[in-house]
Amino acid sequence: MGGLTIIVPVKAAVPNVTAVRLDPVTHNLVREGVPLMLNPYDRNALEFALRLKDKYGGKVITISMAPPSGKDFLESTIGMGADEAYLITDRAFAGADTLATSYTIAKSVQKLFPDFDLLVFGEETTDSTTAHMPAQVASWLNLPYVYYAVDAEVKLEDRLILVTRYLEDEGVYETYEYKMPIIVSVYKNSNPPRDVSLVRKVEAKINGLVKSIDNNALKLERECIGLRGSPTIVAKIEDAKPIERKKQIFKGDPKEAAKWLLDNLIKEGVVKP
Amino acid sequence: MGLKFDVTVVGAGPAGLTAAQQLASKGFKVLVIERGKKPGSKNVFGGRIYAHVLDKLYPEYVKEAPVERWVRRERITMMTEDSWTTLDFETTKVEHRSFTAYLTNFVEWLDKKAESAGAVVVSEVPVDKLIIKDGKVVGVRAGNDEIYSDVTIIAEGINRLVLERSGLAPKLSPELVALGVKEVIKLSREEINERFNLDDDEGMAWVLAGYPTHYLPGGAFIYTNKEAITLGIVLYLSYGYQLDIPINELIEEFRLHPMIKRIVKGGQLLEYSAHLTPVAGVNASPPSLYGDGYLVTGDAAGFLLHLGIIIRGVDFAMESGRLAAEAVVKAHDSGKYDKESLSIYGKLLEESFVLRELKTFRNAHKVLIEPRLYSDYVRMINTMLKRYFEVDGTPRKLGSTLLETKGNLTLLDLAKDAIRVVMNL
Repeated sequence: MGGLTIIVPVKAAVPNVTAVRLDPVTHNLVREGVPLMLNPYDRNALEFALRLKDKYGGKVITISMAPPSGKDFLESTIGMGADEAYLITDRAFAGADTLATSYTIAKSVQKLFPDFDLLVFGEETTDSTTAHMPAQVASWLNLPYVYYAVDAEVKLEDRLILVTRYLEDEGVYETYEYKMPIIVSVYKNSNPPRDVSLVRKVEAKINGLVKSIDNNALKLERECIGLRGSPTIVAKIEDAKPIERKKQIFKGDPKEAAKWLLDNLIKEGVVKP
Repeated sequence: MGLKFDVTVVGAGPAGLTAAQQLASKGFKVLVIERGKKPGSKNVFGGRIYAHVLDKLYPEYVKEAPVERWVRRERITMMTEDSWTTLDFETTKVEHRSFTAYLTNFVEWLDKKAESAGAVVVSEVPVDKLIIKDGKVVGVRAGNDEIYSDVTIIAEGINRLVLERSGLAPKLSPELVALGVKEVIKLSREEINERFNLDDDEGMAWVLAGYPTHYLPGGAFIYTNKEAITLGIVLYLSYGYQLDIPINELIEEFRLHPMIKRIVKGGQLLEYSAHLTPVAGVNASPPSLYGDGYLVTGDAAGFLLHLGIIIRGVDFAMESGRLAAEAVVKAHDSGKYDKESLSIYGKLLEESFVLRELKTFRNAHKVLIEPRLYSDYVRMINTMLKRYFEVDGTPRKLGSTLLETKGNLTLLDLAKDAIRVVMNL
């Protein structure tokens, strides 16, 4: 057994969500020309994976479905310590919602790394915050899914993994045992990411450690990817209109003012008498 | 792990990327290391680039470079709380002399040039220090990683921590630098054209002194981009302690000045930033601009010409980067990268505009750091013009108005300061 094969899917996120434009017809985000960054919580997921690799050996591979400019942030994952990175990029994947994206990621992983042990996701993305991806990928692959993970131990010979997760609201830790492979998503306030290494980043560039793959290679179902595979329809987007304030001012005795205020709040149904 | 390059460049700004492009295009194996998220992300400047260096380096720039507007109008303003006096220069000839730009975009463009010439540019890694063996710089260290090279070009900018940590430059003293804070405010193209009386691709460069810095040495600037204006304050750091409010509030006050308010009306704040800037020219240079295995370029070398109303950094940085590359090529031909072979860099700088101009204006900062210029003179000129144009039946001659309004200044001060300004600027 040669240690673990850990896949970390990462996302090219939009850093400044207030600066993006929406397509007036499709209501989709206009991503062209928008600078992208590595979703910050994916760095925690990568750190989780790298710690397991440091302990049990094997390799960590990052994968992302992104436009060609996604190469830059995949180099950053190599810089942190990923062994290889794969950029899934094709016009055919454009316009995907979370369902089509999860299909693309799930099927790509299945084709490229059929023997993987772990798929490790960040808790959510900072630009869309759906946290759909790990659950949907788990569903496509019919594998167990554990979230809010903070730590794990592996019994390599039995292919068993003990995942500890932290439930923030309850303030409790729980540990579950699974037979690998499984899907994990990592609690965003755990596993602070390590620095990017100069030598690894240089190697990523000069040895071409980020590989691009298109759908000619993957041959995924056209009906399941990109805009065609996306049942989500953004029917309408409206700016929330500011509520007109009544701007009433009461001048006079504080006691009367309090009574006046209370009467008005009762009249408006804000408080019950 | 032992990675080796011919040349390592510390810092992907105008100086470093120019050196990298020049060397890579001549077949050198070049690595550029940038601490920011991407090339340009740590760069801040006022807003203007003088184009003469680009004519030589990238003649195709007129079509390609991310130019915002070509400067056709220059203004110098002496500003008080409630008035200002402006010298306004305009030309009908749109000559391609200088342009406004976003430095981040411009540096990204330089990065593309360097990378397509074959340089390897790696960002988000800060270099900690130089590796020095037997007095010779042999590479760089970042965290636990080391990269070796025949020669290292230091283009790390004014905050030259690598040079300091490597013992090649002393800590910067406050009188050598100024602190700049800047805002980018979005306005429509039409609003900018109308408010500054410009056509579509024409720009304005504007410096203001007096009130913006609370009458301390320094000033404010405004540059017009296509669909935004950049507005900022520069304060000589050695006077920072006299400032009565934080500098970020200073820029707010400036923006809210009744005269400025109408210019930025309806604008949206897009970004704000702050940076040190060299103001003392060659006086801020490290003890040596070259040595065994290394060269220093750009802001790190103090190569910024600051003449109060003219501030030139990018053209000096790029030219020094080009000359550093030329020196490396010559040293390579001689087979050695020791101090003696690299001393050709010093010679090339002396022959170029970089040191010719900086040396001509060697004493400019001693004049410009004179507080009277930013307080007494600003107030005087405004009071004088105000009185001269106020009509209340009292006869006022220009000369007597001058004497009335010169405040604390003696005629001797006026004469001495005039001579100093004329001699040194």
